[in-house]
Amino acid sequence: MRSSAWRVSVLLCLPLCGWAGETASGPAPLSFRNDILPILSGNGCNAGSCHAKQGGQNGFQLTIFGFDPAADYREITRNARGRRIFPAAPEQSLLLLKATKQIDHEGGERIKPGSHDFKVLSDWIRLGAPLEIPGEPTLQSISAKPERGSYRKGQRQPIEVTAHFSDGSKRVVTEYCEFQSPLQSFVKVSEEGLMQVGNTPGDGVIIVRYLDRVAVSRVAVPPDRTLPKSAYASLPVRNEIDRLSWKRFGELGILPSKPCSDAEFLRRASLDATGHLPTPERARAFLLDPAKDKRERLIDELLADPNWADHWATKWRDITVGNTQRIGVKPVYLLDHWIRRKFRDNTPYDQFVRELLTAQGNSHRDGPVALWRDQRDPEMMSAYVSRIFLGVRLDCAKCHHHPSEKWGQDDYYQMAAFFNCMKSKGQGISAPISGEPEDWWFEPGGKTLHPVTGVLMKPKPPGGTELAIPEGADPRTVLVDWITRADNPYFSRAVVNRVWGEFFGRGIVHPVDDFRDSNPSVNDELLTWLGQDFVQHGFDLKHVMRRILNSALYQTSSLPNETNLADNTNFSRSPRRRLTAEVMLDAVCDVTGVRDSFDGLPLESRAVRTWNNKLPSVFLDTFGRPDSSADCPCERMLSPTMTQALHLLNSEALVSKLAQSDSLPGKLAAGPMPTPALIEEIYLRTFSRFPTPEEQSIAAKIFPASGDRRKATEDLTWALLNSAEFVFNH
Amino acid sequence: MNRNCNGVGRRDFLQAGLATLGGLSLTEMLRFRAEAATGTATDTRCIFIWLDGGPSHYETFDPKLDAPDGIRGDFKTIPTCVPGVRFSEHVPKLAKNFDKFTVIRSIAHNQNNHGAGNHYLTTGRPTPVPVGCGAFVTFHPSLGSVVASERGLSNGMPSYFNLGSMTRSGGPSFLGASHAPFVISDNPSQPSFRVRDVSIPKSLDPERAGSRRRLREELDRLTRIQESVAEDPAVALDSFYEQAHRLVYSTEAQAAFDLSKEPDPVRDAYGRTDLGQRLLLARRLTEAGVPFVSVHYGGWDHHGEIFPKLKNDFLPKTDQAVSALINDLHQRGSLKNTLVVLLGEFGRTPKINPGGGRDHWSFAMSVLMAGAGIPGGQIVGATDVKGYYANENVYRPEDFAASIYTKMGIDHAQILHDTANRPIQLIDRGQLIKELFA
Repeated sequence: MRSSAWRVSVLLCLPLCGWAGETASGPAPLSFRNDILPILSGNGCNAGSCHAKQGGQNGFQLTIFGFDPAADYREITRNARGRRIFPAAPEQSLLLLKATKQIDHEGGERIKPGSHDFKVLSDWIRLGAPLEIPGEPTLQSISAKPERGSYRKGQRQPIEVTAHFSDGSKRVVTEYCEFQSPLQSFVKVSEEGLMQVGNTPGDGVIIVRYLDRVAVSRVAVPPDRTLPKSAYASLPVRNEIDRLSWKRFGELGILPSKPCSDAEFLRRASLDATGHLPTPERARAFLLDPAKDKRERLIDELLADPNWADHWATKWRDITVGNTQRIGVKPVYLLDHWIRRKFRDNTPYDQFVRELLTAQGNSHRDGPVALWRDQRDPEMMSAYVSRIFLGVRLDCAKCHHHPSEKWGQDDYYQMAAFFNCMKSKGQGISAPISGEPEDWWFEPGGKTLHPVTGVLMKPKPPGGTELAIPEGADPRTVLVDWITRADNPYFSRAVVNRVWGEFFGRGIVHPVDDFRDSNPSVNDELLTWLGQDFVQHGFDLKHVMRRILNSALYQTSSLPNETNLADNTNFSRSPRRRLTAEVMLDAVCDVTGVRDSFDGLPLESRAVRTWNNKLPSVFLDTFGRPDSSADCPCERMLSPTMTQALHLLNSEALVSKLAQSDSLPGKLAAGPMPTPALIEEIYLRTFSRFPTPEEQSIAAKIFPASGDRRKATEDLTWALLNSAEFVFNH
Repeated sequence: MNRNCNGVGRRDFLQAGLATLGGLSLTEMLRFRAEAATGTATDTRCIFIWLDGGPSHYETFDPKLDAPDGIRGDFKTIPTCVPGVRFSEHVPKLAKNFDKFTVIRSIAHNQNNHGAGNHYLTTGRPTPVPVGCGAFVTFHPSLGSVVASERGLSNGMPSYFNLGSMTRSGGPSFLGASHAPFVISDNPSQPSFRVRDVSIPKSLDPERAGSRRRLREELDRLTRIQESVAEDPAVALDSFYEQAHRLVYSTEAQAAFDLSKEPDPVRDAYGRTDLGQRLLLARRLTEAGVPFVSVHYGGWDHHGEIFPKLKNDFLPKTDQAVSALINDLHQRGSLKNTLVVLLGEFGRTPKINPGGGRDHWSFAMSVLMAGAGIPGGQIVGATDVKGYYANENVYRPEDFAASIYTKMGIDHAQILHDTANRPIQLIDRGQLIKELFA
């Protein structure tokens, strides 16, 4: 059902009326491809929730967004014994009776009897329902007008969409398009293509889809007032990150928050770089150190810390290591082990990816083979490599054109063609425990065909050109050569964005693995510079981290100023992030001095060493590990929940950690430290800072003047562990 | 774009007036109202008892005395309280209480391994890609997670519990971790049993807990950014702590968690077993307002020695606990708004294998359903004379799931969006099992 506003727009638009124009002998010819499909699409018939869902709706199945016109044509004119159209009395065709809800239609009335669309459909049926007109032009592209614009807050603007055809002709197709705004709070758009800008300054897009073509209209909303240049001149510039950020903030009319304190920096940088709270000794030394360069020196120490490797290996195992219950315990263990070793060696990232993506061998001997056992066919690998290493989500294009991007099935299957020469021998997957070993090796001669057209697909990475595979060469090597080229725009930007996301809670492009024109970055210049800098410094992940940690941008306070209160996407203040499950558990264990134990790991192991996400742990489950059972296991839940609050408040495990005889609070209470020093020690250990005099006096109240300090020490530790200052990296 | 298959933009709704209501046609609305009269309501709760591994239909509710040797099995049959209907001899208590529940003998599907079968029956959707026996996958949100997301917190308590362990496909998938089940793995038949995390730790006296809490409030000094545009997660944390406190200090909720409040005869009636006490806890939780409690009872994958195992262990325990639950709910007047469901991922093969067991068989299975207006003493559908295939009123897992959602007042045809914003119908072409709405 379409609204009245839509009707008006139809009347105002030029009617769609065939290619040859009206002729004296009767209506102009109409083609299924160019005239009928847009109507089906524009009325939502082939939406993913209607006839284009798996199995169709009520036995009538269309391809999503009309990506396979021949199949749709067959479905309408031939299938179901041809009962959907009735050329002798076109208005009585089932297709029209349903669409107009003259007979029961679950989707309601989509087309009004007597409307323009109705007339075109019935004329087409009357004319014999041709698939195409000989020599008719084919759709090449679409464009949205305005292509980009700068708008006032609250402004409305209609978007007009033009389709461009192979013979140079054009048609206005606005009323057959779908419009989407990825960020509704920034700009909204109606079904008819009328956009309404919201009340926040910034940049965004409206995505337009016509059949399987996509275009964007860029929307810029300048702030009501910008700040004078002098407001930025006094800001510190430690490296290019700062210069490019302040430049962007100037356009947005915001200022960064003031610099954070030494204590905030110490805790933040330690947790981000190594996943560890600083020891009280390190905290005290750093806080009391008068040297000007102490932050730089701390950063170098943190990046050289042996804990760096396990912490960052965890982030890569999140996106690489499969489900033990799918690929088996041993392959998971070996791949985990391999990743940790690569991070301990600080292997250049291009080398790391090369070894992973050209692996061959035995699943029970060679770590990286686990990835091939998991993403076991060329199609899965196509989607995986594109997403993880190029930041391009091709998944949708497996079955149909990406709904909001240029990627189509060609891109998907041409990428898959790099992986079609892999052979395997063994029992396969579904391994309750470890399964049988599987061998994976390269053997020339694989083929990938387009699933609809049957055309042989030549290897081509998304966004690249077709790559020639030398006789007998492993196409994967050719792909990796392309991926790791210094001028590859995808690879370096994807990884620096991923690293950035770990330090700032979200990427410059967000989600971190979803790069597309319709999902613009918040600071393109910055992202490009970071990528180039990374390549120029030997694909060294630590180098990117050093740049980030040293920037004044990273070292801002989490408290807003009057210009950046509403900014949650441009990094103008330090984002508060809940500690991830493993980091949080390790921090709790550090503060209490009592470790958890994990199946299959040595006693006293830290949570960051857990090598598969199915090792039983109520704590880790509560705070969210990637669910290796889920479709995409790479997502981590980072929001607080009630069950987390319950666990920190009430779990017997935490109470007993505190109460255990050899716990740290126990040792401190029994030791010789005077009470104020003891309080200071707990603050340093938990919050990485000295208590304020007021906090000292509040805490001191619970300590008895003499006698057993045990209870008070436990209670103070418990109270701090349950505070926002502990739960968040701020 | 604001269109979906059933429905229509907000403005369209205003225009259409009475003809459509929130995406439902008038006839559908009337149908839903009619269903409401037969126990469909947004306050219906569900106790979902999952017999992981797949219980045999022959040895429970669909015995085949006329089948040949090698299929029939060792067990005799007994009459139920409904003339003409016979169950296996090892579920006598359920047979006696058959007037309070329906047995569907004709649910059939084609996902013949544990991973896929679990997914199909606990989410209502087959897996989009083939998975193996060992799989624990959640491509689609489970029944419990959907109910949790639809209902929200219930009387301050989490909305979805798993007692025992999490069912393989019991997760929230793209609905997000806040709709994951609250898992209580401890065994409530142990004297030391307490529900974890929901009350003040036992080793802490309440006074000390109170002073800890006050100390925490005084020392939790990170400045909160109260303006909602700033989206400060510390503000969200405060609201979760507040919810947690309300739960800890709610006498009603705390009573629900406390099995020791049950008189001994009641605890004995359910059986002092893990299953029995879990069902009793499930009853207490649902009565306190929790809308979905899943009880996990594993080990039904009887590829060998099926008869002694069922006879000596699995069936007596199940017979006692489930019949006690249904009876108890009935006597307390709670059965009318509590749906009880008992099933596994499939039935078992007709032919008894050389190891004296039965293997996986998804072409026929029996499902017990009670409460929420479901008629008592009813057999729905049938299998053929040897028990191979469901051949009368055959229903699919989609129909089963759609019926549960409808009983709970949830639109099973609604469109959800996954993390990539792709539209997915909650249940694909689900048809209600009409006999449950008689």
